[in-house]
Amino acid sequence: MPLKNGHTQPHTSASSWRWALLGLALLIAFLLPWPLSPLWIRIATEVIMWAGLAQSWNIIGGYTGYLSFGHGAFFGVGAYMTGIVMLHLGWPFALGILISGIAAALMAVIIGYPTLRLRGAYFAIATWAFGEMIRQIATILEITGGAFGMQLPAYLNLPFFYYLFLLVTGLTYLTTYLLLERSPFGYKLLAIREHEEAAEMVGVDTVIIKIKAFALSAFFPGVLGGIYAYWVTYIHPDSVLGAQLTDFMVVMAFLGGIGSLWGPFLGAVVVQLVNRVLWLVWGEGTFYLVIIGAAICAVVLFIPSGIIGLLQSRIFLPGTAWKEIRKKVKW
Amino acid sequence: MLLQSHDLTKSFGGLVAVNQLSLKVEKGTILGIIGPNGSGKTTFFNLITGMLPSDSGKVIFNGQEITKLRPHRIARLGVGRTFQIPAPFSKMTVLENVMVSAFLHTSSMKTAKKKAEEVLKKVDLDEKADFQVLNVTLEDRKRLELARALAIEPILLLLDEVMSGLTPVEVKSAINLIKQMHRQGLTIIVVEHVMDVILSLCDRVAVLDYRRKIAEDTPQKIVNHPEVIRAYLGERYRARG
Repeated sequence: MPLKNGHTQPHTSASSWRWALLGLALLIAFLLPWPLSPLWIRIATEVIMWAGLAQSWNIIGGYTGYLSFGHGAFFGVGAYMTGIVMLHLGWPFALGILISGIAAALMAVIIGYPTLRLRGAYFAIATWAFGEMIRQIATILEITGGAFGMQLPAYLNLPFFYYLFLLVTGLTYLTTYLLLERSPFGYKLLAIREHEEAAEMVGVDTVIIKIKAFALSAFFPGVLGGIYAYWVTYIHPDSVLGAQLTDFMVVMAFLGGIGSLWGPFLGAVVVQLVNRVLWLVWGEGTFYLVIIGAAICAVVLFIPSGIIGLLQSRIFLPGTAWKEIRKKVKW
Repeated sequence: MLLQSHDLTKSFGGLVAVNQLSLKVEKGTILGIIGPNGSGKTTFFNLITGMLPSDSGKVIFNGQEITKLRPHRIARLGVGRTFQIPAPFSKMTVLENVMVSAFLHTSSMKTAKKKAEEVLKKVDLDEKADFQVLNVTLEDRKRLELARALAIEPILLLLDEVMSGLTPVEVKSAINLIKQMHRQGLTIIVVEHVMDVILSLCDRVAVLDYRRKIAEDTPQKIVNHPEVIRAYLGERYRARG
């Protein structure tokens, strides 16, 4: 994996071991719905959806280094678009999610063109404002059902949605692998993240590359939002355009390790599972946010490269992880 | 004439950084630019490469006006530059850094890798190709700057104080490297404080002071130029000329 931090030499044994692990994980993912109860299928479906969302955010936030705090808007636009296409136009669901993805990507191009010139906090604020704007628009428009939201035709088939989310999330990881880890496009993105002026000096058209990355990172949330709308059948501005959507994408990517292929996946699994288990134990509430907040603080302080960084630096062996932490903290 | 600037001016607020600077660089030559700190040398590079927009004046490269072009377009026309403070892509390996440049001419990973390896060999950095940039020395980072600029296959190369911070031995090998690139047909502009470097490399030298060009001539004549001695060199260099 040439783009990973730390180890640069490809080891044949390590990489074949990785492929075996990936095959095993896919097999488990395919067979998962059989032994699970409907509740746990729902939870597994959520985890997979979030894994896709976190990876989408990672494309612009991790690989390109532009922290988007309006990414939930692409999910919401996707959800509403599928709703509108199915409800008002009567077109099929498959067409709906495709239109959702394209609409989200187009929106990213329009928003990205002026805002991607801003760096750091300014880009974050601009995208956050954009997200809020979309939520307000959805709240007042008639076609979106305003504050009451939209009721889609119900299709109660849990495994169908599980596999569909699995497919789309799988595609986000495949796209990230092929386009960002294994192609000139990915190298140019990293160059932009590491030193934008230097990238321009060697002929990288930073404006176009950044817009492409932003559109790509918006396309998948659009599609996932569309599937989500049909899955839960009822959407309203707070459920698909709330600030928490963006927050969780960011948190998952950071916890798992930004700018890496599998970091967002690990982050999504950990955060969403913890989230749901706490919900099962304590019921509806917001206490889980406190725990997740504490976990984020711990990550930022002790393992800034996320769970994946911990795994890669091989300090995650019994005893050594503890020693690392002891070294970094003056008690 | 490969590069010409006409009355190039740039100011930041009330501070004039470059004032009506006109310079010409003949194809196949090495031009040195010297001058005290703050005399506008680096700003001049930033204006040529499009990193900064100029207030007025023109830059003509290879018969084409490039004054208003965006930086990546200027790079594609064949202007390579190094940064005074090395600006590597830190979380990538040395080889990957150079590959980014190589992608200017190819979209094949294989070709880019081969090209990058060639260039690294040229600057004697091939043994550290797989090192993370964070783990290489300042000298190697300067070589990497050079490799990255060379990998875009430039016609004109702008070197911004590539010698600063290097030991005398390292300076010597860097001079040889630049001479070698020059022999292969590159036109080079060198900004440098080390006078020996300027004397041994350059065909012509331009001296900037207070954002203006105060002299431009051959190195031998420059070191005897009274105003240059007053503004920059000091008496020490007069005898040597």
